[in-house]
Amino acid sequence: METSFALTGKGYVIVASDTTAARSIVKMKTDEDKIKVVSPHLLMSYSGEPGDTIQFAEYVERNLRLFHIRNNYSLRPSAAASWIRRSLAQSLRSRKPYSVNLMLGGYDVTIDSPHLYWIDYLGTMTEVPFGAHGYGSYFALSLLDRYVLSYISSKANTHFFLFTYRYHDPEATLQEGLATLKRCIDEVAKRLVVSPGKYKVKVVDKDGAREIEL
Amino acid sequence: MSIMEYNGGSVIAMVGKDCVAIASDLRLGNQALGISSNFQKIFPVTDRIYLGLPGLATDVTTLRETFRYRVNMYTIKEEREIEPETFAHLVSSTLYERRFGPYFIEPVMAGLSRSATGGFKPFIAATDLIGCLNFAKDFVVAGTASSKLYGVAEGLWEPNLEAEQLFETISQTMLNAVDRDAYSGWGVVVHVIEKDKVTTRTLKGRMD
Amino acid sequence: MILLLLASNGIVIATEKKSPSILVDDSMLEKVAVVCPNIGIVYSGMGPDFRVLITRARKSAQAYWKMYGEYPPTRVLTQEIANVMQQATQSGGVRPYGVSLLVAGWDITRGPTLYQVDPSGSFWAWKASAIGKNMVNAKTFLEKRYNDDISLEDAIHTALLTLKEGFEGQMTEKTIELGVVTVPTPAEIEEGRTGSATGRPKPTFRKLTEEEVRDYLAL
Repeated sequence: METSFALTGKGYVIVASDTTAARSIVKMKTDEDKIKVVSPHLLMSYSGEPGDTIQFAEYVERNLRLFHIRNNYSLRPSAAASWIRRSLAQSLRSRKPYSVNLMLGGYDVTIDSPHLYWIDYLGTMTEVPFGAHGYGSYFALSLLDRYVLSYISSKANTHFFLFTYRYHDPEATLQEGLATLKRCIDEVAKRLVVSPGKYKVKVVDKDGAREIEL
Repeated sequence: MSIMEYNGGSVIAMVGKDCVAIASDLRLGNQALGISSNFQKIFPVTDRIYLGLPGLATDVTTLRETFRYRVNMYTIKEEREIEPETFAHLVSSTLYERRFGPYFIEPVMAGLSRSATGGFKPFIAATDLIGCLNFAKDFVVAGTASSKLYGVAEGLWEPNLEAEQLFETISQTMLNAVDRDAYSGWGVVVHVIEKDKVTTRTLKGRMD
Repeated sequence: MILLLLASNGIVIATEKKSPSILVDDSMLEKVAVVCPNIGIVYSGMGPDFRVLITRARKSAQAYWKMYGEYPPTRVLTQEIANVMQQATQSGGVRPYGVSLLVAGWDITRGPTLYQVDPSGSFWAWKASAIGKNMVNAKTFLEKRYNDDISLEDAIHTALLTLKEGFEGQMTEKTIELGVVTVPTPAEIEEGRTGSATGRPKPTFRKLTEEEVRDYLAL
């Protein structure tokens, strides 16, 4: 089943998504890229109803591009997220709503900080330190809570705070972040009955967006 | 599955002596799965009015934007800040506009209204999802933990609480009510509104 | 001629209404119109245009009430009417409204206020003014008589006195109209708030009845 994860670290956001394109019980394709680079410092992973996902992702991509052409600068991640959320919220109360779930990871060059937004097809949006969609989320989120916890306490000998950012370390390096992501993927592979095989991973930081081989 | 319980979340407002308080939890979930522990449901409208929007999370954001727009337009047109009573009617009308395809939100308002003699009077109100107003004299509740909030508030609230006592009362009410509700919790935020200041505190709650 | 006077505790509107013929039933003539419980309007110019504007103003006041649960402040309603009048100067296929209006009302933020609106759509506030026939003389008269702390009762008499200057024919309760804006007490304001016992404000603008006008004229 479709799964996507994303997590923030020191100066970057990693977004990962599986690469299967399925129709009913049949795998049609195993190398589908479901993460779009929608503007120079913005990544968007999408999952949901097959036709809607691509249609909506392209709609977003082209509108952000149009904004860039008209105004000669890109929308900041927070502004882009608000615009995308509003599009989904309006679509929800239309005759045929888009059924698309998104993880939106971006690097805000104006304030030099990474941002990650969890958005679902209803237009629910929240900024998160890490997030996931699909069946993988049931395993990944709880793992991220715990895994990052043991990771922090072993690394810095600090007592963990229950409230702020839970156990997540927003200060982890890219290498550490990718290791955490690998752990998520392995956990889903181990426990989920219909686990996806391959993942595509992209990262965005001050230098822009790029793909990474795990 | 009720759409009002899809994301979870609760809000309560209480009247004190020359002050009011409003509190909410911080959870955003997808049914039983928690997504965020930092989802704000209470928003400032003016320096003396706060609005809580428990219910479907997409509508929380949409309505928050709608009310910000409408209150800004009001302020520009009228060259004055909106009063709590007027704002309550604005909330009611805005929701009733969507009578046959409602926003799934039950708003709660808390504020201080300027009385004719120049002083300030505590004001709280709540509406249902289609805008039926409820002006209460003691406290109002809404959200997935509303039944629990009623119970605890009924036992803890008393008239004429000073700001600090009111903060303690609303905090304990909120913390204990959301612990009995699977869909609310993951931290609490409390605002206490007095005539010259608003105190906002974030509380750590149980994280399970 | 229409006349307006802002007093320390209210406003008075006075107008002459003369019928074109003695055969016309003058109880039908109405130059002072109540828009909502706190605002009244008088005009000088074309009667039918005024009627249309009043209908618009009343609708606008009700729409405002429906949205906010209270009636609009005088300034907001004036702005609304001024907008309608301005639109008519720009739109194709319509002519501008042939009226000047005087809008008087009370609201909680600005108290008793009165505005003049012109066919161009421009509007401004007065302390005392007159429009229509004989307005120049009347304004000179008011300039001499007006001071900031005049009481409502005195203002009514000053208004009648000013109206009498150059009045053609007999001034009776049949040939003039009076409207007053009164300032409510804090207790009355509280009573009108939502959540209170009635939740209905006491009207602050009202037209004086023929009996009341007769009494003022007799003094």
